Amino acid sequence: MSEPITRRKLLVDYRIRAAKCENCGRVYFPPKSFCNVEGRRSRMREVDHFYKRGTLLSCNVIRGPTKKFDYLHSFLSGIIHFQNDNLKVPGRITDYVPPPEEVDVTEFIGREVVPRFRKTYEDGASGLIYYSSLNFSFEDDYYPFQEYMPIKSSGSKNEGKPGIVGYGVYLPRFRIKNEAQGVLSVAERTVPFADEDTTTFSVEAGKRALIHSAIDNRYVKKCFVGSESAPYAVNPSMSTVSQVLELGEKYEDGFFSGGIDSQFACKAATDLFIDAAALVAYPTFGGEYVMVIGADNSQAAAGDPLDYTVGAGGAAFIFGKRDVIATLDCYVPYTSDTPDFYRRDGEEYPQHGGRFTGVPAYFKHVGTAMRAALRESNLTPKDIQYVVNHSPNAKFPYQVAVEEGFDREQIEPGLVVKYIGNLYSGSCPTALAAVLDIAEPGDKILMTSYGSGAGSDAYIFTVTDEIEKKRGRSITVKEQIENPHRQYVDYNTYRRWKESS
Amino acid sequence: MKSIKRLKPLAAVVGAGRTKFGELWYKNPEELLTEAGLKAMESVEYGLMRKDIQACYFGSFLYQVTNKLALIPGYMARELGMNIPMSTTEAACGSGGSALYNACLGIRSGEYDVALVGGFEKMTDRSEKIIDDLMFAGDPHEFGAGYTFAGLYASMMARYIHDYGDGSDGKCREALALVTCKNHHHAMGNEYAQFRREFSVDDVLNSPLVADPIRMLHCSPVSDGAVALVVVSPEVAKNYTDMPIYIVGSQQATDDVSICSRESLTGIKATRLAMEKVLKETSMTMGDIQVAEAHDCFTIEETFFLEDSGFCGRGEGWKIVYDSYKSFNGSKHIPYVNGNRELVVNAGGGLKADGHPVGATGVRQVYECFKQLRSEAGGNQVDTEPNVALCHNIGGTGGIATVHILMRDLYK
Repeated sequence: MSEPITRRKLLVDYRIRAAKCENCGRVYFPPKSFCNVEGRRSRMREVDHFYKRGTLLSCNVIRGPTKKFDYLHSFLSGIIHFQNDNLKVPGRITDYVPPPEEVDVTEFIGREVVPRFRKTYEDGASGLIYYSSLNFSFEDDYYPFQEYMPIKSSGSKNEGKPGIVGYGVYLPRFRIKNEAQGVLSVAERTVPFADEDTTTFSVEAGKRALIHSAIDNRYVKKCFVGSESAPYAVNPSMSTVSQVLELGEKYEDGFFSGGIDSQFACKAATDLFIDAAALVAYPTFGGEYVMVIGADNSQAAAGDPLDYTVGAGGAAFIFGKRDVIATLDCYVPYTSDTPDFYRRDGEEYPQHGGRFTGVPAYFKHVGTAMRAALRESNLTPKDIQYVVNHSPNAKFPYQVAVEEGFDREQIEPGLVVKYIGNLYSGSCPTALAAVLDIAEPGDKILMTSYGSGAGSDAYIFTVTDEIEKKRGRSITVKEQIENPHRQYVDYNTYRRWKESS
Repeated sequence: MKSIKRLKPLAAVVGAGRTKFGELWYKNPEELLTEAGLKAMESVEYGLMRKDIQACYFGSFLYQVTNKLALIPGYMARELGMNIPMSTTEAACGSGGSALYNACLGIRSGEYDVALVGGFEKMTDRSEKIIDDLMFAGDPHEFGAGYTFAGLYASMMARYIHDYGDGSDGKCREALALVTCKNHHHAMGNEYAQFRREFSVDDVLNSPLVADPIRMLHCSPVSDGAVALVVVSPEVAKNYTDMPIYIVGSQQATDDVSICSRESLTGIKATRLAMEKVLKETSMTMGDIQVAEAHDCFTIEETFFLEDSGFCGRGEGWKIVYDSYKSFNGSKHIPYVNGNRELVVNAGGGLKADGHPVGATGVRQVYECFKQLRSEAGGNQVDTEPNVALCHNIGGTGGIATVHILMRDLYK
């Protein structure tokens, strides 16, 4: 597909955009400029179905796909009916692997489905990657329907210190179990489906953050996506996220918002938390909110020790200064040129210095930043309710926290790495979200990230009363970890899907 | 003669020729078309010279992709050594029927008295990518949803089974396999057919899954082939043969390219509209039709035809198939029976067994009816000496439908 065709197509596909005649209510997909019934009297306006749910009218199992879909082997394709608009669209059912024997597809008819932002296919290893929201998962399965209902802010009277306004976590449905006790205490890990990658994780996490925060997407003026597995070396994931989530005021087919993709190994996202908080407080920024996303399809060569700890997924945080659920009270960065883990441009997998990644790298940077943050805040470990550290495995974050004077109760809630694996840039943000899911107003959280190469950012957050109002709008990390619909795959499937992502 | 009403014909077919259908690896598309065209010309009883032909109408879907060439008129001007007006119609699997429809318009306009109509396709030159190529006839969003052509029909078939076959104790699914059994049985006497082999219901229902619920033996094959007709104005028909086959109805209708935007998943609106128009044009009912060539690209489509044409009611097609097959005692053609109506569908095996070189199919259907109405169909000649035949050719999943009614004797 050519670049111009891609541009035209994504404007429709990213949001399942259609055209509605305001005179008679008929809806057309793909959108058209006039109503077949009203003719010249037509008054057409754009409607989209990104946050809607539909019903499966019919489907089939594709067993011999077109070349572009060979990477999925076999899958369900169907016709989805959005009842409110009486609109029917074609869609692929994702996160479903058909068995080899015949499936009675008539049993799927009538089931509710939710749009998912996924990769459709790509033009080889060097060409464009095509994404769409015309992919759906069953609503009664892993991914429930969530309504996006922006709420008008209570205004300047609730304005104060910048901090977190909302967050969203996206963890794929599929998991792989580690042997016996797990490797470095990682018992199981998230596995991306073949059509997922860092950009799709980012969009899904960002979508959930908007739903959780209930802010208006038009007021998000900046978006950062931190990752070390961006699908493109050049071409930002951030612009895809902005286009799909419509961040910023719309103008023609673009948006008055900005941002970048960032890279600093596993702290690519957390490094920008302070920038996000600073921007919303800066008078000439002109926007209300900044979104920071940390996501990775964590890379590891087959057989490498990392191959037994890496996961996939990510989290998005929205920073603002109104209706804040956790204020950002302290920030301490610590950096040195320590080459413990690296990947040269064009190489597929990272390399690392084995045991060197421990004491002189992770422990030195994380410990130093933690101590400095406590010192600058005049706090002791006893003043902190939860401690969250970057989690390449479950042992490092636990050990460094104990060394700094924290106990199991403070550490354990953030050790989600045991169940989801190392999400690289998404690791610390996801662990922070897990803690916010259960934190009470007044709680203090010390979060310290680590990025190889090397550096740490220590943050102290204080939870506000606002957090209670937003509970119930999120799908908690625990709910995702324990989701009864999560599905385990074998090692070969895990490698195949991971490498096609 | 059932009545004394004489129908006014639009055009007449006076010659027809075709290649065998199948994997024809040693010929280019223009060579296949030339072979069929020359056979059609040579079949004209009182002779036809190339100089008699005033225009050519070709139909093909994918030749630009499969063979990396365009401007078939230029190739055919070279092959036939003529410089007359020629045009190519693309309407996916309905290209052949559409080419004939256009030829009828040319003749009805009075501009031409003699035209050559040809349909062709060369699918095995690119068999590795043909599944992708066929999706050019689907909406790009259907392609983006991972659909294949079999998949689109499978979704229609699934909905049909859900809506009308539920509680039938598997009979509906069996009926959709019986269409295959019938059409392969019909092809046994067809010397040009791609597959002259009988299949049982078990064979169909145990064949490899292509797009559940569609299995390989529910599908028409990938084929090469070409067919040509000599079509003339009724006024000059008798100059060429004593037994012209008259085209008394020629109609076409269209619908949204995507199955998603259509009114129904369990029928083809374009077929219904074209059928209504052609029956009105000829003042006929389906009871007047004795043999029909239905577009059975997948067995569900032949079932849709029975309903869309009005031969039976909505949701009753599979029951007609089932009961007709199960109650059949003869040895040759298995007619569909609805009350006192009998209709032989796809006497030569249809797309399923004769083959489906997509652009050739609509013309092949008329070739088959031409032969049947003249009692020249050889091993697959029906026993009933039919006088009225119908050809139903659709493009894509029903984005276009063309229907022609042919008669040997114009009295009805």
